[in-house]
Amino acid sequence: MSTPGPERVPSTVKVGKTSGQGKPPTGPKKTPPKGGRPAGKGPQGKGRKVQPVKVSGGRNWGPIAVAGVVVLIAAGIIGYGIFASAKGSATWEERAADISGIVDYRAQKNAKIDSRNHVEGAQTYVTSPPVGGDHNATWQNCMGDIYTEPIANEHAVHSLEHGAVWVTYKQGLAQDQIDKLAAKVQGKDYMLMSPYAGLDKNISLQVWGYQLKVDNADDARIDAFIKALRLNATMEPNAACSGGNTTTGPLTAAAGNGTTMGG
Amino acid sequence: MMTVSTDQDAVTAPVNGSAPERTRRFGAAWLAAVLVFGLVVGAAGGLLVPRLFGTPGDDSVEAGFLRDMSTHHAQAVEMSMIAHAASTNSDIVTLSGDIALTQHGQVSTMLAWLREWNLSPTGSQDPMTWMPGSEGSVRNGLMPGMATPSQLADLRKAASPDLDIQFLTLMRQHHLGGIHMAQEIIGLSDNKQVTDLAQTMVAGQQSDLNLIDDLLAKIQKS
Repeated sequence: MSTPGPERVPSTVKVGKTSGQGKPPTGPKKTPPKGGRPAGKGPQGKGRKVQPVKVSGGRNWGPIAVAGVVVLIAAGIIGYGIFASAKGSATWEERAADISGIVDYRAQKNAKIDSRNHVEGAQTYVTSPPVGGDHNATWQNCMGDIYTEPIANEHAVHSLEHGAVWVTYKQGLAQDQIDKLAAKVQGKDYMLMSPYAGLDKNISLQVWGYQLKVDNADDARIDAFIKALRLNATMEPNAACSGGNTTTGPLTAAAGNGTTMGG
Repeated sequence: MMTVSTDQDAVTAPVNGSAPERTRRFGAAWLAAVLVFGLVVGAAGGLLVPRLFGTPGDDSVEAGFLRDMSTHHAQAVEMSMIAHAASTNSDIVTLSGDIALTQHGQVSTMLAWLREWNLSPTGSQDPMTWMPGSEGSVRNGLMPGMATPSQLADLRKAASPDLDIQFLTLMRQHHLGGIHMAQEIIGLSDNKQVTDLAQTMVAGQQSDLNLIDDLLAKIQKS
C-alpha cells in the first residue's frame, strides 16, 4: 500500500508470501482452473515459474484461509473474553455456593434463624455457632478483633448482621493453627475471632446465614469464604463494626445486658 | 495492511482473467463474512469493553486502594467515635465527629464503587500490595498509621484530657499514613473518580493535621 510506485514488483516483494497468490493474476493462466474453487487447487498451478509453489493456483484459498484464521483467533479471544467476563461477574451468592461444604441457611427459610429482633437476655440458637436469629442490641466489636476467650453469641450474631465474618475455633486448638487464623483477622475490619465452646470441628466460619466448618487453618476454603462473604453478606449495608462490645464472656457477664450501648 | 493489498490483487485477478462469475460469488462471500464478523465484533465489543477496559479489575491498584483505604478509614471512624462519645473538650468533640462522619461516608462510597465494578470488598492480595515499595509496611495486619489493639484499649479507658491527647496523637499518625496512601494512588491511577476522591482525602486530612497540631499545642499548654 505504502509504495506509491506504479510498478507491481516492489510491492509484491515487500508483502512477501501472502502476495504470492496475488501475483499470478498478471498472467493469463487463470483460465484453466475456472471450474470451481476446490478443483483449482492441486494440478493446475504447475505452469508458471512464479514463486507461490505450494499454494499454486487456488487463488481463492489463500485469502480465505488467512481470513479464516483471523476470524478463528478473533472468535477465540472474544469467546474467552466473554467467558472471563461472565465468570468475573458471578454474584457473591454464586461464588459462595461454589465453596464445597458451605451450608446456606438462608435457603432453609428458618424463621428462627432469619429473625433479626434486638432483644435482651440470653438466646438459644438453631446452629452452633449461630448464623442468625434474634440478638442483643449491642454488637461485638468486629474491627479485626482477636478475642482469646469465648464471646456472647447474642453480641456476635449482631456483628454477623453488620456483615462481619466470625471465625471460631475449638478451644485447645494448636497455637500454630490459631496464629494462622489470627493472621487472617487482625487489622481487618468486618472480621472477628474467638474460641467457641463445644465446637464439633476445629474451625467454623460464619456470616449471616452461611457457615463453613473445616479441620485445618491451611484449608483454602477459608480465604474463599472470607473473600466471597465478608461484607457482602451484610443485612445492614454500611453498618459499622466499631463501637461494639469489646469484652468476652457470656452475655450476663458482658457489659450489662447489652443495654449500655445503642444498637 | 498486507491482507488488504493481497485482497485487491486477488480481486483484480479474475477481472483480468475470464471469470466474472467467480468474482461475484467471491465478493458476496466476503461481504457476508465481513458483515457477520463486524456484527460479532461489535456486539462482543459492546458487551466487553465496559467490563474489561472500563472498570478496574480484581487485582488493580484502584481496587487495592479502595479496599485498604476502607479498612484504614474504618479505624479512624472507630477512634473518632470513641473520642466523640467520651471527650469533654468541645474542640475534640467537633473534630472527632467531623472525621467520623467524613470517613464513614467515604467508606460507603469506596465500597459502592467496588460493588459497581463487580468486585468483592475483600481482595485476594495482602494489604498494601497495590502500593510499590510498601513491603514490610504492614505489621500484625495493620497498615501504616493504624493504631494497635493496645493503643485502642488505652483510648477506650482514657478520660479527657488524656483521652484528647491520645486521640490527637493517634489520629495524627493515622492521617499521615492515610495521606501517603492517597498520594500514591493519585500517581498510580488514571481513574478520575478514584484520584479525585484521593485528592480530597489528601487536602482534607492535611487540613485536619494543622488543626490537630494546634489543638495538641493548646491542650498540652493548659
